[in-house]
Amino acid sequence: MITLWHYLAVAAALFGIGLVGFLTRRNLIVMFLCAEMMLQAVGINLVAFARYHGNLHGQVFVMFIVAVAACEAGVALALFLMLYRRGKSLDSADWAAIREVGVPPASDADPLPTEPVTAEPQLAPAGVRPVQPANEEAARV
Amino acid sequence: MTLFSLTPTQNAAGQIGLAAVLAVVGFALLLPNPKGRRVREGVAALLGSVAVFGAWLYSAYGRPMPDLVGTVLFGLFSAGALGFGTVLVVQKNPARGAIAFAFVILSTCGLFLLLAAPFLVAATIIIYAGAIIVTFLFVLMLSHQDGPSDENDRSREPWLGGLAGFAFTGLVLFTLFLSHEAAAPAEAGDQPRAGQRLPAVVLTDAERQRLTEALAKLDATDDELAGDLTKHREDRIAHFASVRDAVAEVVGSEGAAPGPRYGTLPTRLEKTPALDGKPAVLYREDAQARATLARAAAVRDLNGRAFDTLQNTLLAKNPDAAAAKADYAKLRDEVLLLTGAGQLPARNVGNLGYLLYTDHLLAVELAGTLLLVATIGAIAIAQRKRESAE
Repeated sequence: MITLWHYLAVAAALFGIGLVGFLTRRNLIVMFLCAEMMLQAVGINLVAFARYHGNLHGQVFVMFIVAVAACEAGVALALFLMLYRRGKSLDSADWAAIREVGVPPASDADPLPTEPVTAEPQLAPAGVRPVQPANEEAARV
Repeated sequence: MTLFSLTPTQNAAGQIGLAAVLAVVGFALLLPNPKGRRVREGVAALLGSVAVFGAWLYSAYGRPMPDLVGTVLFGLFSAGALGFGTVLVVQKNPARGAIAFAFVILSTCGLFLLLAAPFLVAATIIIYAGAIIVTFLFVLMLSHQDGPSDENDRSREPWLGGLAGFAFTGLVLFTLFLSHEAAAPAEAGDQPRAGQRLPAVVLTDAERQRLTEALAKLDATDDELAGDLTKHREDRIAHFASVRDAVAEVVGSEGAAPGPRYGTLPTRLEKTPALDGKPAVLYREDAQARATLARAAAVRDLNGRAFDTLQNTLLAKNPDAAAAKADYAKLRDEVLLLTGAGQLPARNVGNLGYLLYTDHLLAVELAGTLLLVATIGAIAIAQRKRESAE
């Protein structure tokens, strides 16, 4: 039998992965997805407890989690849109100016890798008259 | 796994710690880094972490083999959720991350389905399908696709972040281990553990097994009572006596005082039995435990009565099996219902709706208000100011 404990352990691991993603990633949209993943892990816990107790109250809790996640999605995406308009970037480190007083600013030591820029292919311009040899008379049709 | 003759608790702590350390190493190597990622080493560390985690689950909570289909599905869905979650975290491209998130949602929906929550599966898929598509639109609208960028190709403190996350997970798992009574046997010099246990289940697996065996025998009632009833009396009575004893082992026999014949189910659930008209005091004071005990009492009465009827029928001169058959058909139905006590039925969508609009009506209203406020908030935040527009 798969027991309650198996589900709790898997939910804890999923929550941990989401937490690591939220702490380490800098793209606001990825951070938002990691937060949603943590909510899903909590939902697994609640549904597993509902099954264990043989009642439906845990499932009702998960419905409210889904409602709160929908609110969060709406507000968060509106916020990202506003931040993007101001900073033209989704990098959360761009907003380090609102950090706590006395905390030194974090700086990125390593330069970003530069991808080799390949020249875009150029087509020969169309519609140019071919050069005619000087001694040849143009054919008259 | 007892290389160093450790106690089970130390062994579990070692396994969880090793899994957490390997996961930290794997994530730190795989997270986006301007110096380049080390994919092969990172994946190897993560696979090692998953192997140790699985070994711990196996050794701590037993081998879940009897239910093969359920075990395979559970393994598939949980591996899918954890694997695609890892891809979401370490993937540089946010669009691919959103696709991985969609698979995380599908995997958790599979787990919901295994846990008898069909409505939540449908609701989650519908809501997150919309959410993921909107997120996708945002990614396409806002992210730069030209070359490396700060937000996608850098991580914030991969080692410290991984350590924080997985230290937390390891502690949660270790607490789970300590709170599980079967997995943490008494050890020499071990202090009795303080804390509150989970309420007991109304029907244990062993009891359910006994009742299922009795059910199999009850299903053969018609065969046992076929033919000339004046023959094979002893065999027939022995068959029904075995049914009576199997059921009585769980629910007790009629008129029994607290003791060995009282039945394992009432003994486990009742703190003090009903005496002199006073109701019993239960370990679990909820409707489910009360209903299970009432059903067990009904089964107990019916069990004794049906056997008496059968014995009288078989010992009569002109036996007529109709009354005994009717009693045993009723007993079979009651035992079947008792066997399902404490189990969540898979078809529970209607009950969920009933519960939402009776017990949780205020919460439903509050959730609706919250959604309205969030909508207004989203519009207010995203609105372009007139000065900036001009």
